[in-house]
Amino acid sequence: MAKAFRASAGILLAPAVTLIGVFVVVPMLLTIWLSFQDWSTQTPFSDASFTGLGNFREIFGPTSVGRDFKTALLNTAIYTALSVVLILPLSVVFGLMVYQREVAGGTALRTVLFSTYMVPMIAVALVWSKLYAPSEGPLNQLLGLIGIGPQPWLSSPRSALVSIVFLNVWQQVGYFTVLAIAGLTQIPGSLYEAATLDGANGREQFRFISLPLLRRTLLFSAVIAIINAVQVFEPVALITQGGPVGSTNVLTYHIRRVGIERAQGGLGSAMAVMLMLSLIVSVSALFAFVNRKDSE
Amino acid sequence: MSLAWISKLALAAGLVALPATGWAQSVNISYLTHWSPDTVALLETAAKDFSKEHPDVAISVRAVPFGDLLTTLRSQGGSSDGPTIGGIYDLWLPELARDKLVAPAPDAVAAEVKSAWPAGVVSAASVGGTLYGIPNEIDVYALNYNKELFKEAGIAAPPKTWAEFKDAAAKLTNKDKGQQGFGMINSWAAGVVHPFASLLVSNGGNLVKDGKPALDSPQAGETFALYEDLIKSGASNPAMATADANTTGPFLDNFVSGKTGMIIMANWWESALKTGMGDKFANVATAPIPVGPSGDKPHSISYSWMTVVNAKAGEAEQKAAWEFLAWLNSPKSGKSGASAMSDILMSMGILPSRSSDIEAHKDKLSSEFLSGYVSVLADARPFPVVPGGQEFSESLQQTLEALQYGQVSAKDAQANAQADATSILERAAK
Repeated sequence: MAKAFRASAGILLAPAVTLIGVFVVVPMLLTIWLSFQDWSTQTPFSDASFTGLGNFREIFGPTSVGRDFKTALLNTAIYTALSVVLILPLSVVFGLMVYQREVAGGTALRTVLFSTYMVPMIAVALVWSKLYAPSEGPLNQLLGLIGIGPQPWLSSPRSALVSIVFLNVWQQVGYFTVLAIAGLTQIPGSLYEAATLDGANGREQFRFISLPLLRRTLLFSAVIAIINAVQVFEPVALITQGGPVGSTNVLTYHIRRVGIERAQGGLGSAMAVMLMLSLIVSVSALFAFVNRKDSE
Repeated sequence: MSLAWISKLALAAGLVALPATGWAQSVNISYLTHWSPDTVALLETAAKDFSKEHPDVAISVRAVPFGDLLTTLRSQGGSSDGPTIGGIYDLWLPELARDKLVAPAPDAVAAEVKSAWPAGVVSAASVGGTLYGIPNEIDVYALNYNKELFKEAGIAAPPKTWAEFKDAAAKLTNKDKGQQGFGMINSWAAGVVHPFASLLVSNGGNLVKDGKPALDSPQAGETFALYEDLIKSGASNPAMATADANTTGPFLDNFVSGKTGMIIMANWWESALKTGMGDKFANVATAPIPVGPSGDKPHSISYSWMTVVNAKAGEAEQKAAWEFLAWLNSPKSGKSGASAMSDILMSMGILPSRSSDIEAHKDKLSSEFLSGYVSVLADARPFPVVPGGQEFSESLQQTLEALQYGQVSAKDAQANAQADATSILERAAK
């Protein structure tokens, strides 16, 4: 009986497992294999020659290859950290605002917030590149009205990456607000009623009821926000081309430049493997942190 | 005749004509370019003219931003379904030829090109003596300046030496008006490197000499120091220098709106200036690159573009592509003895490279703006076309941008640029 069950389960799972294997596992394994090869993306795999850890030594080495990779890795880490740090609290704040039934126009606000997520990135990039324009840009004109001088935004290596983060936060926060609202709806109303009877004010209810019970939702949001941020590509490709001085050169854009434009497939694969490892470590660390808090 | 009979006859005629129609469009070729929609429309018109004489060939044109052109060629050029024809920058040719993405020109085309184009341009379209593309445009750098701003600053003539150049840049700088004397460019490799290289060759130096980087020369040191001086004195503001993926952006906006007094740019931006400035375009003048303390006379950097054919395309597609390109670049296809390609290029202010096209467009090339470029062409030095050239260019771009933003000194920038270039060119040569 159990044998027949296992056989039929295997048959039912086979199509999905095969598809995942072909389209997910094989490309990942191929990338890992290529990261140890000297290979041009314009030549067949059979032309690849084994170089051991040569590609990894080069991307962490002192030459321009290593310097550019380390800068791109750091830029990606900063972009991801800033995005998550800004998006998660804002999504909770907006979620609370929209979730409060007594707030007038809650549905309209929810629609407006989510609509930014539906705008294609090409449109967002075009609009924001004009908003950030140094002289005639609306943002600097608005700042001028309140006596603040023009800001360089995308024109300075000190502010360009942060400017791209703002763009990302603007576009993504609506989606994460919807996730926060979904989390808030899971919290039983009786908990708030009991807390009110016990004399807890709004701030205390948020701190001791909403926030702890939103933990799982926030963990999910954080993981998705990290993955989205690590994969950032379009705004960099469309607006800054990684500049100025490589300050917005993130890993996905850099891998595309090395792996496709320069056809250095081995180096590009080594960089992709490092990106994958960084992502795995970051997400695992996040899960470990939350699980430890849960067990405490 | 009844309606039923007419219908049957029409159907029969249609069935007979159908195979002929199918054969009439039996070869489909595509042309990948980075040109703007207006220019693409001109190319499409030329393609239709060709198809009238060659009804068996259908040509479609596809445009991508300049920043995506090489990537598109690399990612799609390895397939028979990729673009059949691509417009490429000469710096990319050695690696595209090495990776067998571009096809050698047929003997007849090669013979025609060798006889009708200047030898230097033919050489830039060749690798190891084999011609891979039909050259079309040649671009050269010169100093553009705003005559109105010069007049306001009391400067009578464009600077001829670096001393005069620095003096003019200082006089043209007015921080209260948000005005800079000399406009640098950043976030675009050629836009950063070519103006620097033009100043370097006008100071007697070279980027690459005998296949090896020459950025450790005293002439290069003086050029890095010039950049440092311009930045430190405030005569050049890097925040006004940004370019976007379409090679436009703040650096162009600032020159167009009269906030940049001088800039070193190539002739092809004439159309962008005309669009942005309207009647004020008359304020723009062109002058040779100022000569540095170690230079003998004005020199600048030139580079060329060419059209290549996808080596992985089918035999019929390759044949049709070469026929189309030979026609497009021949005196038969354009107006008054010019090629259709040169007419398209001249609409953007780009200099054609075929000798007969230069003659055919003599009048337009003598305009105030373009004549300044034509006059410096004879003493221009081709940008070094070497394996690893694009990576070398991007690496030097990073170093120059770091210098622009004060992250490194001129001395360190020179040392970094030479070390990076040595490592990149050595690796690419392996």
